[in-house]
Amino acid sequence: MSARTLTPLATAVIGALAAGGLTLATSASAQAQQRTRVTAAVTETIASVNPYADSVSLMYAIYSQTYGSLVDWSFEKGGYISRFADSWSNPDKTTWVFKLKPGLKRNNGEPVVAADFVHSINRAMNDPQTKQKHNVRWIVAMETPDERTLIIKTSEPVAPMLENLSRVIVTSKAQFDKLGAAADKDAPVGAGPYAIKQIAVDNFLAMTKVPDHPDVKPENPDEIIFRIMKEPESRVTALLNGEIQIAQFIPPQLVPRVQGSSVASIVWEDAVELMFLAMSPEHKPWDKKEVRQAVAYAIDRDALIKVLLAGQGTRLDGPIGPGQFAYDKDLQPRYTYNPAKARELLKQAGYPNGVEIDFYATVGRYIADKQICEAIVPMLEAVGFKVNLKTPEWGTMWANVQKGGTPFYYMGRGSVIDPSAALSQYFETGQSPRIKFSNKEVDAALRAEREEFDEGKRIALMRRAMSVITEEAPAHFMWRHKMATGVANNVVFKPQPTMDINGIDIMMKPRARATK
Amino acid sequence: MLSYFIRRVVGTVPVIFMISLFVFLLLHAAPGDPADLLIPDQASAEDIADARRRWGLDQPVLVQYWRFLVSAVSLDFGRSFKYDEPVLALIMQRFPATLELALIATVLAIMIGIPLGIFASSRPNSWFDNASSLGGFFGVSMPNFWMAIMLILIVSGYFNLLPSGGRATFGVAEDPITGFLILDSIIQQDWVGLADGAKFLVLPAIVLSVNMTGLLMRMTRSSMLEVLSEDYIMTARAKGLSERVVVWRHALKNARIMVITVVGLEFGALISGSIIVESVFSWPGIGQLLLQGITARDYPLITGLVLVYTTLFIVVNLIVDFLYAAADPRIRLGG
Repeated sequence: MSARTLTPLATAVIGALAAGGLTLATSASAQAQQRTRVTAAVTETIASVNPYADSVSLMYAIYSQTYGSLVDWSFEKGGYISRFADSWSNPDKTTWVFKLKPGLKRNNGEPVVAADFVHSINRAMNDPQTKQKHNVRWIVAMETPDERTLIIKTSEPVAPMLENLSRVIVTSKAQFDKLGAAADKDAPVGAGPYAIKQIAVDNFLAMTKVPDHPDVKPENPDEIIFRIMKEPESRVTALLNGEIQIAQFIPPQLVPRVQGSSVASIVWEDAVELMFLAMSPEHKPWDKKEVRQAVAYAIDRDALIKVLLAGQGTRLDGPIGPGQFAYDKDLQPRYTYNPAKARELLKQAGYPNGVEIDFYATVGRYIADKQICEAIVPMLEAVGFKVNLKTPEWGTMWANVQKGGTPFYYMGRGSVIDPSAALSQYFETGQSPRIKFSNKEVDAALRAEREEFDEGKRIALMRRAMSVITEEAPAHFMWRHKMATGVANNVVFKPQPTMDINGIDIMMKPRARATK
Repeated sequence: MLSYFIRRVVGTVPVIFMISLFVFLLLHAAPGDPADLLIPDQASAEDIADARRRWGLDQPVLVQYWRFLVSAVSLDFGRSFKYDEPVLALIMQRFPATLELALIATVLAIMIGIPLGIFASSRPNSWFDNASSLGGFFGVSMPNFWMAIMLILIVSGYFNLLPSGGRATFGVAEDPITGFLILDSIIQQDWVGLADGAKFLVLPAIVLSVNMTGLLMRMTRSSMLEVLSEDYIMTARAKGLSERVVVWRHALKNARIMVITVVGLEFGALISGSIIVESVFSWPGIGQLLLQGITARDYPLITGLVLVYTTLFIVVNLIVDFLYAAADPRIRLGG
């Protein structure tokens, strides 16, 4: 045997695998394509089949469209809607009464009754695997005077309670009583427009359309597969070669590849994640307001958005932006790029010769985070800061932030629709050590807005708190990312600002439907 | 031989113990707290404290280690903080995917690397030798990550020949029996599933095998060159034996100890080194699991996986030792 015969023999193994794979798999995928299917590449984890054991937005969105949640935020209507409740009211500030719709049924015909909601809240609170306690922490009692009435009592007035309840996944008490914890795997029966077909933890999740569900249309795909693909390069390649139809979070450098293709395009959406620079007044020199404001004036956010984010960002003038609850387009004060003013403020703060600071940047957690922080360094140094840029691994950095040990850092806060919880968490005295900011006016306004059930008054209180926070600058609000989602040309899809992928938002184009 | 085997098995116990202690202490010394990373952003301080209690993290490190050790004796590595499932069950779910990939990569490396090394050594300094040596050097020095991305871009992206990631098309294969997709498809005579699985295997297997192929080629070549210069080879040629018989029957037999060593060591390295390949190709094996565990500071999961990797390495080395004895009668294991 010679080299001429043996080496080709060895390479033939690869060839055989590939060629065999290609030919047979073509017929395999043809079979699999009898029904319309959309595969979406996602980046978060699928950690469990238990709907209460995870707290990532991907899974909330999936469970919300399969099991259903008590209420849902509608970006179209700018308010909460519910597939279960006809109405809700507050007889007093610590009582929520939900009147359920008559004749509610799950997709297997089983009725949805008030006891299911009590069961679900109890599981969010007490399930051995729960990671959703925070959603129901104010609930102290529940009553079901009849099958269509749910009464929830809270320990204190919580006006933004619906935001929390939108994350309570409604599972079946009857199934749980019958099967125990196995119900999550063996009988994931819900009332949503899609049904869970299979969950392979940390790999994929498959769901199928419920054809006779009132929310679905014939154009919605019959099957949706969520595939975890963390590598952006893989997501884009898979999108362009037709393996997937939706690719989440396309980074700026890969957007032109998708835009230049003939098979897919980019859909943009302003995400409801707030990016900011946190400055903890517990640490010097951040104890001086002038120093914090100097940072705000020193950074040219528009240039960073244009150059490093390739325009994929919307500048924030205040903690929140359009579409978020209590947004005020005229919120004051506003920080514009003004290095001279920044230098002046540093002098006023007692640092005429500048001051040395440590600046902590995340790496690979947010879009172009390291590059953005590297670009911020010379901007700060131009006004007198001497910056030591630190780039610890996320686990290390986050643990330090949680303990209040990180004085100045770049961070994001996701899923902010009603900003009450986020503002309280970062800026209310004693709520968390992440910034350790304390201001009586902010505390009073945030407490009052939580207790205020009149929406107009609540908005005014929240805006007051946001104005003081912006003025005091314990954080400098940078932008909201414009998220790029790659979408194949054979489907029509626009994600929610929360970046949720909902089956009913996906439409197959006529030619794709013809394969049915 | 039995006493050798028993000695080796007994000898692994302190090794595993020391590694478990080292990993456990190192993990706890590393900055970052599982509760901070796994409990949601919006959780209260009480929720975080509650999780720490549930996971035993409020106990002194040595107490935690002792509890782990006592359970580990009965192969109970505890429950994963992140997945809230027994660590061993998680590992067993993912292990077939990693082993299948490593086996295919090893077969590819053996089928390409060894013949190339033999032919290169039988024609030293020829164009074939130079080209193979260059190829071998390329394979040894090629970063996995880069090659994976390049193959995805070219084979999947440009030519659209193979999928860019994953392990199977949803709904194509039958329900798994052993967890080894290729084997399951053969058992079930599911040729469509087999083809589908093979299609997903090709790129990650090639990437994983490249380093081993290069190393095998170079080691085979150098071992063979050494053997081919021995007197007995000259005698064989002088007796008029054909070059094929000289190379394949006489020379290769004496060069195979080196080949066995490289295959054994590299196979262990393939299993533990598949983390990057699994990550790039979204391959649902234990490499990805380890990565998830590290990101989440999932102590039981990381410790359990490291112990599995360690045990595998020891087992592979033990098998290599037995293969030495089988390949070379002068080696006595009992000694």
